[in-house]
Amino acid sequence: MPSPQALFDIQPQLSTPIYRQVVEQVQRLVAGGQLGPGDELPSVRAVAERHAINPMTVSKAYSLLEAEGLLERRRGMGMVVAARAQPASADEDRLALLAPALETAARQAAQLGIAADAALAAFARVLHKTPKEE
Amino acid sequence: MSPALEARQLCLDLDERYWSAARPRLLDCVDFAIPEGAVVGLVGRNGAGKSTLMRCLLGLTTPSAGESRLLGEPSLALPDAVRERLGYAAQTPDLFPRLTGLEHLDEMAAVYPGVNLRDAAALAARLDLSLGQRASSLSLGDQQKLAVVLALAHDPDLLLLDEPVASLDPISRRDFMRALFALRHKPTPRTVLVSSHLLSDLERVVSHVMFLREGRLQLFIEWDEAVEHLRCLPCPQPPAALQAGQVHWSPAGGGRLLVDARAWPQAGTAAVLGMEDLLEVLNT
Repeated sequence: MPSPQALFDIQPQLSTPIYRQVVEQVQRLVAGGQLGPGDELPSVRAVAERHAINPMTVSKAYSLLEAEGLLERRRGMGMVVAARAQPASADEDRLALLAPALETAARQAAQLGIAADAALAAFARVLHKTPKEE
Repeated sequence: MSPALEARQLCLDLDERYWSAARPRLLDCVDFAIPEGAVVGLVGRNGAGKSTLMRCLLGLTTPSAGESRLLGEPSLALPDAVRERLGYAAQTPDLFPRLTGLEHLDEMAAVYPGVNLRDAAALAARLDLSLGQRASSLSLGDQQKLAVVLALAHDPDLLLLDEPVASLDPISRRDFMRALFALRHKPTPRTVLVSSHLLSDLERVVSHVMFLREGRLQLFIEWDEAVEHLRCLPCPQPPAALQAGQVHWSPAGGGRLLVDARAWPQAGTAAVLGMEDLLEVLNT
């Protein structure tokens, strides 16, 4: 199981509410196959303690993911990835999860007056610099 | 379920000697209901009435009109059974200068049931606070830490903290934010009302935010909802009257209208507002 530190990257200053950041990260990790069916998620308390955030915020995220069918509550274990949660097989599904971040970047590029070629080149450089998560 | 904390048309008039037409009241018809388990950030400029509101809620100041209730009981007639479930740390810590931290805790344990000395000591250690020193020899930051440890020592159901972290360094503040949820042994979540100017700290932990300006409650909203839906639209002229979904008009920056983007979809692409941005718009 990945450690809670590795699992979530929470930045309260970001324009996305904290609960959304957790929801989207779990969605991406499951879609990308880093989290598979039966994998245990860090406890609400552990995530809240690690990031000094409100435990209810983490609970809210987990409950939304449970309602979505991505997580299930298992007695004595807390939250695990649901048996029927599958990595998004088609590249299209995974790309759909990336779309919001790309739209934000595109909007900012336009505001900064950066040409499409230059923005794409910059994105390529960032991609090659980011280590692939284990 | 009754709210953990509620105010109904709470007003506090200024003493005649200080009365001014610009600010006739310290608190002006403040009305809210805070649900159990909410962690509410009380935000406003200096003099907005944050400390006064807390003192009224606790029954330490008698309002001129209106009423408030804590855990379902009127602030001005709190039964002991409710007092025991409250924790409060004032802006200027109320400490006995000659007593050490440990002696403060002993005094408290003699009065309040449910004081867990081991938990309190663990919390003090986490906040890097020595309990062996007399209060008079502690730095202001350490006095604040002691006040917070005392406010939490009996696992209160309702916690009111007035500027608890102003003198703490950033690392201690992070530990303090964790402490808000610590020492909880009861199944129900603790309700917290905390005032602070350190809004980035509040952004981490609050479920709700309450903006106070010149004694008036401007906005009480779930924080996630504020981040997701509140936006500013350029608006040079003040609207004749605010319509549904319009929160506040500010003349600053060429005129801005704070709106809920669910009612005003054209605001959907505007920048997200942090707590500081919101405070600025609401106070100009």
